[in-house]
Amino acid sequence: MLGKLIKYDLKASAKIFLLLHVLFLLVCAAARFLFMDRIDFHAPAKTLIAPITAMIVLGTFLISALSLCTSLLITFRFYRNLFSREGYLSWTLPVSGITHLWAKIISGYLLAALDMAVMYAGILLLVTGRNVTDAYQSIAPEIAGSVGMPLSSLGLWIFAFCVVGALSSVLLIYFSICIGQLFPAHRVLCAIAVYFITSFVIQIAVLVIMAALGLLDHSAEFTTLADEMFTLLVPNTVFSVILCIAQYAAVHYIMKRKVNLI
Amino acid sequence: MPWNLDDSRPIYLQLMERIQHDIISGVYQPGDKLPSVRDLALDAAVNPNTMQKALSELERSGLVYSHRTSGRFITDDSSLLKKIKTDLAQEYISGFLGQMRHLGLDDSETLEMIKQSLGGENNEANP
Amino acid sequence: MRPILECQRLTKKYGNFYALSDLTLSLDRGQIVGLLGPNGSGKTTLIKLAAGLLVPTDGHIMVNGLSPCADTKKIVSYLPDRSFLNEHMRVREILSFYEDFYQNFSTERACKMLDSLEIDRHMQLQSLSKGTKEKVQLALVMSRVADLYILDEPIGGVDPAARDYILRTILTNYDENASILISTHLITDIENVLDRVIFLKGGQLALNASVDEIRTQYGKSVDVLFREVFKC
Repeated sequence: MLGKLIKYDLKASAKIFLLLHVLFLLVCAAARFLFMDRIDFHAPAKTLIAPITAMIVLGTFLISALSLCTSLLITFRFYRNLFSREGYLSWTLPVSGITHLWAKIISGYLLAALDMAVMYAGILLLVTGRNVTDAYQSIAPEIAGSVGMPLSSLGLWIFAFCVVGALSSVLLIYFSICIGQLFPAHRVLCAIAVYFITSFVIQIAVLVIMAALGLLDHSAEFTTLADEMFTLLVPNTVFSVILCIAQYAAVHYIMKRKVNLI
Repeated sequence: MPWNLDDSRPIYLQLMERIQHDIISGVYQPGDKLPSVRDLALDAAVNPNTMQKALSELERSGLVYSHRTSGRFITDDSSLLKKIKTDLAQEYISGFLGQMRHLGLDDSETLEMIKQSLGGENNEANP
Repeated sequence: MRPILECQRLTKKYGNFYALSDLTLSLDRGQIVGLLGPNGSGKTTLIKLAAGLLVPTDGHIMVNGLSPCADTKKIVSYLPDRSFLNEHMRVREILSFYEDFYQNFSTERACKMLDSLEIDRHMQLQSLSKGTKEKVQLALVMSRVADLYILDEPIGGVDPAARDYILRTILTNYDENASILISTHLITDIENVLDRVIFLKGGQLALNASVDEIRTQYGKSVDVLFREVFKC
């Protein structure tokens, strides 16, 4: 049953997901061939700054938009399939609430991870032009020295952390919706409120924990960027794993005992 | 076509009457097999359990008998059929007489009127 | 054999409102039961509790001796009082969805029904009329070989001709071991099809009797009795 549920979840979001991500890759490809490949890195730095800054801003915007869309897809699927009128069918399938939950976690996480992979691929596509790699080659040792590892490894590490972190963001969405449906009169509003409040509390908690561990005061002591990243991200990841477990426990309990389709 | 059933009396009684009527008036011949409960219920647009009850009651009266494997049949006991026919006719007549008396006609007047209308019918039938 | 549906002191509260209070009731197998009552009397709440869409505030509800769970959902075929299908799906996609999830679903039976209702299986649900959508939903629900069918207002939104067809469908697909619980306002239309009726009033049981008992005892139809009991 779990497999079938996942199949229908993925099917439901597939069209829009594929459309958006193929579009993103096409835009990246266009930017690479029409813009990146034409940059002459031997030109004076002054003329390079404006277009590269524009490129970075645009790229950041696109990536944020894409990941927002993916989050929305995951959110809508969970809400619609389980708590709107379609829930009348979902909750009368011969499937337990927990199986539903796992189907949603797996399908949602697959989409989120795939989303990250496509974004990573898009960025790679942008920066692997001959002119860029050649230009990088000349400054590689310098950067690798100050970062603590080559940029490509740093990118991979960040990607890996993001993929792990995606699980907690998927769970946060489900957690918010589940809490929201405990208040039938204002389901959506409560869900949104819970989402922002929880995110805010988590941010504060992270800051507090880092401060408590003394990580914030001594940032100057880090020898390299990589060093800093690991020192900060490791406790962060541990924290987010604990958070995942707590959120899962809450969602598990609600899905098992507290679902009322009113 | 759903059977015409009235609102105030138990449904199984009305089903019994209807089937009884069909048997006496010859829709079903003596010894014929009755349709299945399900088919009869569908035809009448009523609950199969109610139809089942009606048929069981008919069985008790002897008008219908069931054969273990092959279903329900109309009795071929002609004296029973005749008796039921007479009983039913008797019932209609006493009902009719009751209504006539209610209208204030005494029995001899009623008889006279019956004769007249029978005469009228005969005249119409043989002009 | 255990009753197919049992409620023991079943209570459901929405905020401060008691939709059902202290309802004790049991439904035998092999019956077609009408669940009747005015708006807000708790019919849909009872049905949703039996289908496992709501959790009781207090008391118990049991289907085949079990609290609603995946196992009871296997043997309960439920028609909600609203459209519950993904509107973007085509009729044939929904058929394969049902076949995927319900072992007791007969695609053949469903196709037969859809054909006789002249519904094109390639149509998207959102392009069908409201009444046609309801017919599709009923065909799906009645195409399962279930122990308990729960139909919430199955004939409310369709024309009288379709209503007759639906009642015939219910009668045709009904077998002696199954039970059907139907909630409706249109009592006259279904009275002859019912074994028994349950009247709910303000979330409590007002009457639980067989149709012929009512007719024998009160000398009137269920419809007339209903109008008297629930006179405004």
